[in-house]
Amino acid sequence: MAEALQHAAGSPAVLAEVRPASLPRAQLVGHGRSFSWITQKICGIAEEKTPAWWWWCFGVACVVASFTVAGLTYLVATGVGVWGHRSPVNWAWPIVNFVFWIGIGHAGTLISAILCLLRQKWRTSINRSAEAMTIFAVVCAGIFPVFHLGRIWYSWFLFPLPNSNYIWQNYRSPLEWDVFAVSTYGTVSVLFWYVGMIPDLATMRDRFASVGKLLRARIYGVFAMGWRGSSRHWSNYEMAYLILAGISTPLVLSVHTIVSFDFAVSMLPGWHTTIFPPYFVAGAIFSGFGMVLTLVLPLRAVYKLEDLVTQYHIDCMCKITLATGTMVGYAYAMEFFIAWYGANPFEGFTFINRAFGPYAWAYWIMVTCNVVTPQFFWFRKVRECTWLVWVLSLFVNCGMWFERFVIIVTSLARDFLPTSWGYFSPTVVDIFTFFGTFGVFSVLFLLFVRFCPIMAVAELKAVTPQASPHAGHAAPGEDSAHG
Amino acid sequence: MKRKVEHPAPREAPSGPRYWRSLDELAATPGFQAALEREFPEGASGLDGVDRRQFMKIMAASFALGGLGLAGCRRPEENVLPFGKSVEGAVPGLPVYYATAMPLRRGAVPLLAETHQGRPTKLEGNPAYAPLGGASSLFAQASLLELYDPDRATAHTRDGAPVDGAAVKDLLTGIGRKHMADRGAGLAILADASSSHTRSLFARYIRARFPRAIWAEYEPVADEPPIEAALSAFSLRVKPIYRFAAAKRVVSIDADFLQVGPNSLTYARDFAKGRRVEKPDDPMSRLYMAESALSITGTMADHRLRLASGHMLAFAAALALRVTGDKAYARAAEGVELPAGWVEECAADLIANRGASLVVAGAHLPADVHVIAYAVNEALGAIGQTVDFVFDTQAPAASIRELALAIGRSAVKTLIILGGNPVYNAPADLDWASLQKTVPEVVRMGYYADETSALAGTHIAAAHYLESWGDARMADGTVLPVQPMIMPLFGGLTQNEVLGALVGLPDTDPYRIVFRAIVGGAAKNPESVFQKFLHDGFLEGTASRPVPVRLNSAGVGLALARAREVPAVGREAIEVRFLADLTVDDGRFANNGWLQECPDPITKISWDNAILVSPRLARELGIDSPSSLVQVARKDLADFEVGKEKAHEVELTIAGRKLRGPAHIQPGLANYTVVVPLGYGRTRAGRVGDGVGFNAYAARASGGLHVANGATIALTGERMLLADSQWHWSMEGREIVREANAQEFRENPGVFREIGLEAESPAVVLGPEPGSLSPAERATLIPRGNSLYATPKFDGRHQWGMSIDLNTCIGCNACVVACQAENNIPIVGKEQILRGRIMHWIRLDRYYSDGKADAAAFGGEGNLEIPEEPQISMQPVACMQCELAPCETVCPVNATVHDDEGLNVMAYNRCIGTRYCANNCPYKVRRFNFFDWNMRRLDSLYMGPLGPRGMPELIQMAKNPEVTIRMRGVMEKCTYCVQRIERGKIEWKVRTAQEGHPQDVVVPDGVIRTACQQACPVGAIVFGNLLDPQSAVSRAKARDQDYKLLGYLNTRPRTTYLARLRNPNPRMPDYAKLPLSRVEYERKNHPERG
Repeated sequence: MAEALQHAAGSPAVLAEVRPASLPRAQLVGHGRSFSWITQKICGIAEEKTPAWWWWCFGVACVVASFTVAGLTYLVATGVGVWGHRSPVNWAWPIVNFVFWIGIGHAGTLISAILCLLRQKWRTSINRSAEAMTIFAVVCAGIFPVFHLGRIWYSWFLFPLPNSNYIWQNYRSPLEWDVFAVSTYGTVSVLFWYVGMIPDLATMRDRFASVGKLLRARIYGVFAMGWRGSSRHWSNYEMAYLILAGISTPLVLSVHTIVSFDFAVSMLPGWHTTIFPPYFVAGAIFSGFGMVLTLVLPLRAVYKLEDLVTQYHIDCMCKITLATGTMVGYAYAMEFFIAWYGANPFEGFTFINRAFGPYAWAYWIMVTCNVVTPQFFWFRKVRECTWLVWVLSLFVNCGMWFERFVIIVTSLARDFLPTSWGYFSPTVVDIFTFFGTFGVFSVLFLLFVRFCPIMAVAELKAVTPQASPHAGHAAPGEDSAHG
Repeated sequence: MKRKVEHPAPREAPSGPRYWRSLDELAATPGFQAALEREFPEGASGLDGVDRRQFMKIMAASFALGGLGLAGCRRPEENVLPFGKSVEGAVPGLPVYYATAMPLRRGAVPLLAETHQGRPTKLEGNPAYAPLGGASSLFAQASLLELYDPDRATAHTRDGAPVDGAAVKDLLTGIGRKHMADRGAGLAILADASSSHTRSLFARYIRARFPRAIWAEYEPVADEPPIEAALSAFSLRVKPIYRFAAAKRVVSIDADFLQVGPNSLTYARDFAKGRRVEKPDDPMSRLYMAESALSITGTMADHRLRLASGHMLAFAAALALRVTGDKAYARAAEGVELPAGWVEECAADLIANRGASLVVAGAHLPADVHVIAYAVNEALGAIGQTVDFVFDTQAPAASIRELALAIGRSAVKTLIILGGNPVYNAPADLDWASLQKTVPEVVRMGYYADETSALAGTHIAAAHYLESWGDARMADGTVLPVQPMIMPLFGGLTQNEVLGALVGLPDTDPYRIVFRAIVGGAAKNPESVFQKFLHDGFLEGTASRPVPVRLNSAGVGLALARAREVPAVGREAIEVRFLADLTVDDGRFANNGWLQECPDPITKISWDNAILVSPRLARELGIDSPSSLVQVARKDLADFEVGKEKAHEVELTIAGRKLRGPAHIQPGLANYTVVVPLGYGRTRAGRVGDGVGFNAYAARASGGLHVANGATIALTGERMLLADSQWHWSMEGREIVREANAQEFRENPGVFREIGLEAESPAVVLGPEPGSLSPAERATLIPRGNSLYATPKFDGRHQWGMSIDLNTCIGCNACVVACQAENNIPIVGKEQILRGRIMHWIRLDRYYSDGKADAAAFGGEGNLEIPEEPQISMQPVACMQCELAPCETVCPVNATVHDDEGLNVMAYNRCIGTRYCANNCPYKVRRFNFFDWNMRRLDSLYMGPLGPRGMPELIQMAKNPEVTIRMRGVMEKCTYCVQRIERGKIEWKVRTAQEGHPQDVVVPDGVIRTACQQACPVGAIVFGNLLDPQSAVSRAKARDQDYKLLGYLNTRPRTTYLARLRNPNPRMPDYAKLPLSRVEYERKNHPERG
């Protein structure tokens, strides 16, 4: 690059046109690892003998998950009153947790779909685990809106099933939109994840077959759906993947937009704002990347994946976190501005109350975690300090939970008539049920790590330099298109 | 309104009356009784409550015997002619109404009981009794639940063993016979107060027959002015009857006349007449009030003076001095500092309205205060105009003190206690429990096997008044019938039966006793007189006639001469006021869950009493701690931590007796008066009332039954939780209750429309030009936000609406419990109220304003204080039935939808409990069944399937069969009593069809009344058809005071409010040009106006 600049400055007349300077591309796979190394590395994780740490983690995760199971069993047997919600805070932790988990689920599809369409090749090493995270987060999210129903056994009323009761849905209700948005999102995410995994599943099938583990080979074979890697397969696969990416892209935006409609469509001060859809989507991506960092960094350390998840990847994720975190911070500021500018006394009160009322502690935790924390990512030193990035990602997760808490609880707690004001405090069952969902999530994720190719092997190979048709023809680090 | 139907002639068919007659005859035979008891041994379960299985067997047996399944009531044998709507019809499924009355102390409330297949399910005021027009009280509404209380005494017992009613009567007859010889020596009867004519006849009879016996009466709280006052002032045994409707200026000296006392219903109703302003230039009465506590009446006052009760004599004398100009009052008026000009201007206003002004003193005050009040009334020409005096008909009785002395002398060998609960509530210095133990034979008759019964050898289970034949008198003397709706469920006896047995009447049939007492002297045709009595629900022309009185100035002089030095009241000499609680009264209703759960109208605390302290005393005690550093909204009341009141426990020491209880900071109290509600801390009330609150009787001695002086107060360091249903007291400058002074309203009738924000689009039915468009046209033509969805068409023949007059609402809670009874609303218990899950469909919001809400959103000095001198605003809030209901759009399963008559209806079966509707309701009137309140016991809600399940049969009987019992997980709310609407429509259709009219007709105004409207003593709630411009509700809504709560949200509520007016005197020192809530509104929203 420096040479080019010098050249251009020296003899401007020589240049017929100004060409953009080529930036050195970061290596997406470190140390010029070979195809077979990649295959061996990723498939090896699922093929090796189950490590002891996995069993420990899995055991702990199961115990934690049992909290949710126990909490929900008790809830259904006894009544939703075992949770702490009350009048006027009729939605509290369950919906906070729902939005929190749904938000986490956003990064996966964003990485898979939008970055795929935008040809961001660094997505390849994290998209598989991010998609898995999405699905498991949607599972955790789905628990809450269903179980917070007063009569869960009638939750099928929410679906347009033909029935003798003439129950028909109210399509004006954002909750009904939620039903479709979340279920569509869950379905498409599973499909996308699974379709992307087919070539890798076939690889594993073949590897098991080659070492004589026929039962495993058969199981993986079933899921690989007869993939043989023919050109026709690849052609169909690529098309299917592209279509799914196209379908998923609007979903990334729509799901959290619709979740935000739960609030924006109501008339509660603090909920009734038009900024919610973009603000929620930004927040969801923010929290999703926070969670990806939280998951991928330990995975990278445990399985020594530094060559596949390079510093460049971490940098990218940190920058997206920084960008979306700042957008969220802008939204916080804009809410206050509109509350003042709109001159509605009820709305003005709500926002002042958020920041300085009885829930001010929650508000300032939120601001600290969501607006201040990502600002550290401006600094290269911070981004390169993996453990610090991981710690900051935890703050992001925490902050995004509090964002939902602040929006939902503080708005409800003090609304129009002061005589109805209340203060919500969670019960033990609230806390345990939520805590347990981390166990549910971990159980699923550990199973994923143990049995699935945690990275898209085929795609990873495609982004290595040797996959390029010009491999060997240009010096490493040069952009082949302009080289 | 209610159709009066002539009772049919006794049917000739052998199936009808014969059955009942034979049932009763059969039931009366000893053989049958014995057989019944052999099969269903009564009291087998002892006193621990009801064995429900046994109960159901008894019920089933009586149904079977009745043949028609209608014999739950034994009325026909007596050939009763009740006030009924459809006696001849008696269609199963349709309710039948009977007139009766609820006796309470010296008064009674005329009632109409709604019965379904022989069981009463709802009580309403008797509309035939014109002065009350169907109004009823909180206690009358709630008394129904006591009938079905599983904890009521279910058997007569002697030394712990169950005995039958005949044995009880034999025992009593034996006692009577034994004491015949010594003419009653050693016999004592302690009775509760009663207005019953029959019982007073018995009292006289006993006095004559057992001249040496002691007949004592005791009530723990005073209801009526002391008779000595009338004796001093007029030398006559008379009591005052106030005519508030005629009074333009009223001064209340510590008198809570709107809520307390036997005549309070009439007074509230009359007072409201003087307050109602329909047109801007209508006159409005003015209420001056001096009080130490903050009472319901105090909340209505235009000028309120906080003054210790011990200073009321001086206040009354000062007032008398200014009104009469008689220097004789000067000495008594000394010693108390009153705000400069207050009494002078008040007196001037009274004099200016001579003949239309009135001074009322509280019944708890010493007789001398009443004497002075009578003298002032005389001087103002009030007597005969705004106050009448009638003879006190009560037979004189000994006091409990005299009886205690007799017991102390061992002069009482047999003590019969009728009602009351002296072990619990007798003055503490008498040590009644020990005294009662020294009496060899104690026979106690009570509805509950309570504290007193535990120390009595014999307990007689009393019948509920809905199971009894009896009579009662209203405070004005009108005689009311008490007639049974149902046979005594547990064989309870009435006082008349017990007394009849005691005096040895050959026939103790309660019906015949009452019959003879009421119409025994009627010259001709006593049967028809009695029938009409039962039918109407009152005996016409029995109201006491006013007695001409002349003030005896010597008596007044004596009273003034008696005036002692004013008691010192201060930090080291606290004044303690003992009050009957506004929800459980003196403790008699302690086991009534409806009343325990009903929040106190002022403090908003349910399930507890608290020691109320003024903000100043609280600060001096160090319990009014500052809350957060930055105060966004105004400081919450008392000590709130995470939304729960963690009250500091304090110890009151009153003349050596100690009382511990939680302190609650109460604005509006006199600085050093603490208020202690009685009626809590019961130990044997039942499962509901046991251990709730603290027992203030323990520190209440004869010397200071109502007001005790010289107490000290100290913190104990303990904290305890109080369940407040509402804890934020400030309106925050929002235009929630719109108020103006009468003067401002007169000058600018549009003032209420200028307060606050309003939606641009008018309501469908309540548009600017009613009548120019049909509701359906309005629904489609008037812009409503371009929804793709069709708005309800509102094309029904009726369009229901409601208007609530905040100017007359006194906040008595009658509507709250009436709604609870009508709509089968469960109670949830203290623990759940602490969690904010109260279920009341209509609630009373209570706000305090002191004019200090700040212009800025937060900060500012005024935000940190609880006001000492607040103005109080009350607002009943129920579902507004919004035309554009925010709850409907958000329900995903269409469980809440609109009907074509404008009701926002709930389909409980569809509700899956997302609670989104409740979040989106700006009025927060939706209530959620967080648990299976109906099927689970409140103490085991959290035990889930491990806890007991099922509703006691007895409780099931109290439920209104026309309203669904909601299960767990379902949202519920006010429906304008849709069951009443539908029944009204059906009945009207049937009726018009029978008369040959077309079916589809409009129900005339007033035929359908909601439960809250029905119960409201002041007629503040009006409901009806908005399409009829002449309906009461349309006329109310056409008034200038009409406004919509949060109208700017464009919910188009069908319930609107009539703004509150205050009528302060511009010459008074505490005159405020705007009501303080308006001052706050202006400061907050229009600071530029200064």
